[in-house]
Amino acid sequence: MAAFLLKIDGILRGRESLDDSGSTLRRILMLWLLMCLFGITYGAVMGSYGPQTGPRGWQMVFSGVKVPLLLLATFFLSLPSFFVLNTIAGLRDDFGAVMRALAATQAGLTIVLASFAPLTWLWYASWGDYRAATLFNALMFGLASLSAQRLLSRYYHPLIQRRPRHRFLMWTWLIIYSFVGIQMGWILRPFIGDPNSPTQFFRSGAWGNAYVQLFNTFWSLVGG
Amino acid sequence: MLRWFKQLDRILRGDATRLEQLQQGQIEFSVGGVVLVTVVLAMIYGVCMGAFAMIRTSGEAYMQLIASTVKFPLLFFLTLVVTFPSLYVFNALIGSRLSAGSALRLMTAAIGVMMAVAASLGPIVVFFSVSTTSYHFMSLLNVVACTVAGLLGLAFLLRTLHRLVLIQTYEEEKPYIPTNNTLPPESAPAPVEEQMDSTPQEKPLPASALDFMGPQPIPRVSRVFKTWVLVFALVGAQMSWILRPFIGNPAQPFTWFRERESNFFMAVFKALQSLLN
Repeated sequence: MAAFLLKIDGILRGRESLDDSGSTLRRILMLWLLMCLFGITYGAVMGSYGPQTGPRGWQMVFSGVKVPLLLLATFFLSLPSFFVLNTIAGLRDDFGAVMRALAATQAGLTIVLASFAPLTWLWYASWGDYRAATLFNALMFGLASLSAQRLLSRYYHPLIQRRPRHRFLMWTWLIIYSFVGIQMGWILRPFIGDPNSPTQFFRSGAWGNAYVQLFNTFWSLVGG
Repeated sequence: MLRWFKQLDRILRGDATRLEQLQQGQIEFSVGGVVLVTVVLAMIYGVCMGAFAMIRTSGEAYMQLIASTVKFPLLFFLTLVVTFPSLYVFNALIGSRLSAGSALRLMTAAIGVMMAVAASLGPIVVFFSVSTTSYHFMSLLNVVACTVAGLLGLAFLLRTLHRLVLIQTYEEEKPYIPTNNTLPPESAPAPVEEQMDSTPQEKPLPASALDFMGPQPIPRVSRVFKTWVLVFALVGAQMSWILRPFIGNPAQPFTWFRERESNFFMAVFKALQSLLN
């Protein structure tokens, strides 16, 4: 248990070393395991909104599965282009270290999220409004993403020092990842689950484009 | 097949375009293999592009998928056919020693880089195709993906052309070699690389395919090369418009080609407009 906590502490402090010669794949799998664990924790709490009776209880399971799914699916969709870009930039030799940095950041993101889980639970216990719950969760995800971005900078620091071009690629990754991630989050709805709608894994008719939706909302706000 | 992928990988990593490698005045790689791999990668992106029609249209949806798969490699082949003669003529006019064969090799490598980038963006395009209903969003996303791929390929082309010119001038008259000897003498290439890196804290590293090295070529030459690249980009864009539909508007029936009207840039502008409204 102590070793486990130390490991988590190490990830958050950016001590997950990128360069030691241990098997990269094993380390990455370990980090993903942690990511799934903490992701499921926060997802389950997020899905615990509203009364836990009947089929409604499934929402906790669905949301628990969806958080790691969101991160992993986004990761694998963004990876090929990032790999090719690293190759063209002449940074292929560092790609193992880059993968570790990315996996450690993802694990860090879910650890931050999981640390917010009690707050979310308190919020649910205090206020019942569905829209407020959605906004609160959005805020938590926003904060966790910001922390993850800081963490990624920390992991990238030695790489950037060695080859300054890594800075550009780090930002490229953040752009690709968030572009795909926002859409992924959109189609994986509902994460919280409106108590008035039936509980289901995918919301029927929820497919569509997050960005188009965003434009429409924006224009209806501006145009009145 | 794997061997040919490795050839393309050498180009991507920049191993094939190091100054030592370019001494013969051309890039060394197996042309046939790289062409084949490039076509395969182009077809992969074509499939990703056609996926939207496959999901959104009823009826002969698979036809659009087949059409995109065939037309996307064709787009680059035709762009090359249209631009190559004039590119080569100007190349000869400015007195570059690049032969037709090595110019063609260079273009093959550049298109290979483009297709590798495009195919690697394929998964993202498919994901959005599956989850998006907006046709205009998809066309703009594809334009962006192809622009990124095209720009990287053309950057590779410019850099490699520059290196080839650098080697020629070094061999011929040595007028552009600055005092600190930027071009590596064949016997000791390693220590000079250090000076080539622009930033001081960077350790000596082999230069990537996109690194700019050595002094600026004569402005006249570099202007011609930049015009080359611009012409290629414009012809490619318009060619893609002639060969449309690639994505397939679900509101229109499938055809191999559409009526001749408008142009690429107007269409992008219109798509942007209808997305924003």
